[in-house]
Amino acid sequence: MEGNWAQVLFNSAVTSSLYLIAAIGLTLTYGLSGFPNFAYAEFMTFGAYIGYFVSRQLGLDIIFAFIGAFLASGALGALTYQGVFRFLANRGATKIHLMVASIGLGFAIRHIIGDRWGWPPFTFGISWSAFDIGAIRVTDLWLGLIFTALATAAIMHLVLTRTKTGKAIRGISTNPELALASGINIERVNLVTWGFGAGLAGIAGLFWGAMAALSPLLGWTTILPVFAVTILGGIGSFYGILAAAFILGLAENLGTVALTQFGFSTEYRMAIAFIILIATLVARPQGLARAFRRL
Amino acid sequence: MEESLLRIKEVAKHFGGLWAVNRISLDVARGSITALVGPNGSGKTTLFNIVCGLHKPDEGCVYFNGERIDHLSPHRVYAKGIVHAFQIPRLFSRLTVLDNMLVAARGHKGDSLLNSLVFKQGWQEQEWKLATKALELLNLLELDHLGLSPAGELSGGQRKLLEIGRALMAAPVLLLLDEPAAGVNPNLGRKIFEKIELFRRSGLSFFVIEHRLELLFDFADRVYVMDKGKIVVQGKPEEVAKDSTFYKVYLGD
Amino acid sequence: MGLLINFLDIIVFIGIFAIVALSLNLEYGFTGLGNFGKVAFFLVGAYTYAVLMERTEIPFYVALVMAMLTSAGIGLLVSLPALRLREDYLAIVTLAIGEILRLIVKTEDWLAHGVWGITVPSAIHWSGISVLETRLVNVGLVYFCLIVCFTFMELLTKSPYGRILRAIREDEVAAEALGKDRVKYKAQVLMLGSALAGLGGGLYAQYMRFIEPYMFMPMVTFTVWIIVIVGGSANNWGMLLGATLVKLFERGALVIKDYFHLPIDPINLQYILFGVFVIFLLAYRPQGLLKERQIKTKAVEVVQRWRNRCSE
Repeated sequence: MEGNWAQVLFNSAVTSSLYLIAAIGLTLTYGLSGFPNFAYAEFMTFGAYIGYFVSRQLGLDIIFAFIGAFLASGALGALTYQGVFRFLANRGATKIHLMVASIGLGFAIRHIIGDRWGWPPFTFGISWSAFDIGAIRVTDLWLGLIFTALATAAIMHLVLTRTKTGKAIRGISTNPELALASGINIERVNLVTWGFGAGLAGIAGLFWGAMAALSPLLGWTTILPVFAVTILGGIGSFYGILAAAFILGLAENLGTVALTQFGFSTEYRMAIAFIILIATLVARPQGLARAFRRL
Repeated sequence: MEESLLRIKEVAKHFGGLWAVNRISLDVARGSITALVGPNGSGKTTLFNIVCGLHKPDEGCVYFNGERIDHLSPHRVYAKGIVHAFQIPRLFSRLTVLDNMLVAARGHKGDSLLNSLVFKQGWQEQEWKLATKALELLNLLELDHLGLSPAGELSGGQRKLLEIGRALMAAPVLLLLDEPAAGVNPNLGRKIFEKIELFRRSGLSFFVIEHRLELLFDFADRVYVMDKGKIVVQGKPEEVAKDSTFYKVYLGD
Repeated sequence: MGLLINFLDIIVFIGIFAIVALSLNLEYGFTGLGNFGKVAFFLVGAYTYAVLMERTEIPFYVALVMAMLTSAGIGLLVSLPALRLREDYLAIVTLAIGEILRLIVKTEDWLAHGVWGITVPSAIHWSGISVLETRLVNVGLVYFCLIVCFTFMELLTKSPYGRILRAIREDEVAAEALGKDRVKYKAQVLMLGSALAGLGGGLYAQYMRFIEPYMFMPMVTFTVWIIVIVGGSANNWGMLLGATLVKLFERGALVIKDYFHLPIDPINLQYILFGVFVIFLLAYRPQGLLKERQIKTKAVEVVQRWRNRCSE
C-alpha cells in the first residue's frame, strides 16, 4: 500500500491539535456544569468570524485575530453562562431543559452570524506559506496550530496544578460538596472556566475557519468529533483529553486513508468520530479518565 | 428446622477500594421479622441494594427460596417476591398517591403494550379491584384521604408511609424495609411496627433496617448488628442487648 | 384563491409536525427520554417512502407503512446501545445519529441521488385534478393519519401502560424496583416514537414531492422540541396547539418577507427569536401551555366512591 505515512502522521498531529484546543474548554465546562452545552459549536464559529473581522476587515496582524477570537468568544461564553445557563439553573431547569436551551442558544447565535456575514461559505483569504520538510508538506498555519496546542496544554497543566483556580476546578470536579464546604466560590470558578473554555473554542474555531472555510455552520461541522474527544477522554478530565485528542486525530487520518483504500467517500470522516463515540459510551462510558489518577 | 427464606452467603461489595460490605452471611427465616442494625455507614443499605438487585456483589451469593438471585436485575427480583422500600422515599412525584400504589401492583394486565390498547375491559376490571386494595392499604396508613393528591405534595412522614404502602401493595413474599420508622413521630412509628406484625401474621416476612432499638426489641425475632461492613453480633434481641460489642458499636470504644 | 392554497399549506404542515410532536411527546413528555435526534427518524421515513415510490409500483399506503416499519427498525437499533445511557449521553448519541444518517443519504448517491434529491411520485393520480383539490386531499390524508395517531396516543398514555411510562419518567430506579423492566418499556417507546416520526416523514415526502438532505437539518429536531415544550409536555392536545402556534409563526416570517422590508432577514430573525423564546419558556413556563392530565380509569371512580362513603 503506497502512502506518505509521514504526511499522515503530520496531518494527525494537526487534527489532534485542533481537537485538543477545542475539547479542553468543552470538557472543563461539561464537567463543572454537568450538561453538554451544544452551543459550544457557536463559540467556535463566533471566534472564527471575529478573527476574520479583525484580520481581514480591520486589516490587523493575524496575531490580533487570535487574541480577538479568544476575547470575543470568551466574553460570549461568560455572558451566556451567566445570562442563560445559570439563570435557568436557578429557576430549576433540568438537565434536558439546559440541553434544549443550549440548542436554542446555538441557533440564535448562528443566525445572528449568518445575518451579519451571510450564509454562503467563504475562505479566509490569506494564503499561508507552504513548504516541505522532507516528504511532509506543511503550512505555517498548521505549524502555528500545533504550537498553540502544545502551549495550551502546557499552560493548562500549570494552571491546574499550580494556581488556586486550577486546583479549585479539580476540587469541584472530584468532590463538589467538599469544595463548597471548603469555601471555594463555585460560581466564580464556573464563570472563569466558561469564559476561558469559550475563549479556547474561539481560537480553535479561527484555526478551523482559516484551514477550511468560514460559514455559520463552522462549529457544527466539527462538534461531533469534539464531543467524541471529550467523552473518550472522560468528561472533566484534562489529561484524558490529551490522550483522546491524539487517538482521534490519528484514527481520523488513518481512517481517511483506509476509506479511500476501500472506495468510500472521505465525507465519512465524521463517521469515524461517531464510531469512537458510540464505542466509548457502550464499552467504557467514563472514558479514559480513571486511567490517569489525577484530573 | 425450617429452611431460610433469604440466605446471604459471604457477600462482599467494594466501591473504589472501600469494602462497603465485607463477607456478610445471614439468614432471614420465613415468617419472621429480622432486623439489621448498625451505625451509619456500616453498609446496611448497600446490603439491601444487593439483595434487591441494584448492585451486583463482588463476592458471594444470595439465595431466595433456595434459588440464586444475586445476578438478577431489580425487576426480576421483584418478580421472585422481594420488594424494597427505600430509606429516602422514591415516590413518583407528579403521579397521584393512588397511581403510585397502582404502579406497584403485580401482574396488572394493563401493563403490556398490546393489552392496554386492546383489552380495555379486562384491565378496567383489574383497576377497580386494585384500587380497592390500594385504598384499604392507604386507610391502614391513614393516607386514604390523599388518594388523588400528587405524591409530591405529601409531607415527609406521609411520604415515608406511602413508600411502605407501595411496597405492601406489591404483594411481596419478603419485604425489605429501610428504616420504616425514620422521620415519623414515635407513636406512628410504633403503629407502623404493629401493622408490620399484623402482616407478618398473614404470611409476609420482613427484613428491616431500623435505628429505633426499643421497637426492634419489641417486635423483631432476630437481630443482626453490622459495623464497617461486617456482622459483629447476632441473635435474639434479648441476647444482643446483653452483648457488650453491641454497645461498643453504637457508642464507640 | 392563492390565499386559500397557502392556508391549506400551513394546515398540512401543522398536521405533519403534530404527528412528529406526538412521537417526541411519548418519548420525552411521558417517558422522560431526551431524544435529540428526532430528525433522523423523520428522515428515514421520508426517504423510505420516496425510494419505494420512485422505484416500485406499490400503493402509497403500503409505502407509508414501510416508512413506519423502517423507522421503527432504526429506533430499535438505536435503543440497543442507547437506552442504558444517562440522559446527556443519550442526547449526544441521538444527535449524532441524526447527523450520520443525513451524511449517509447525502453521500450515497445510489440510495436516493444524494444532494440532487429525489422526486416523489404523487399518491394522487386522478387526472385533471387541480392544485387546490390536490392540496385538499393531502389535508385529508395527513389529518386522517393524525387522528389515528392521536387516538392511539391518548389510549396508550391514559392506560396502566401510560402510568408505568410516567413512573419511569419520575424515578426509573423505583419503577424498576417495583417490577417494571425499564429497558423493555423504553425500547418499546422508542420504537413507537420512531414509527410515528417515520409516518410524519413519509407524509412529508408525499406532500413535498421532492426531498433532499438539506431538508433534514437539526432545525427539524429543534422545531419539534419547541412544539412539545410550548404545547405542554405529556399533553397530547398540547401537541396540536404547539404545532399550530409554531408553524403559524414560521409561516408568518415568510409572509413578512414578502410584504415588509426589515433590516434583518426575517428567516434569520425567526430562528433568533425561536432560540431566545425557548430560553424564556424554559425559565418561566417549562411545563408549557397545556398541563399534564392525570390518568382517569375506573380506579379514580373507586376513590370517589370511597370518599363519599367516608363522609357519611
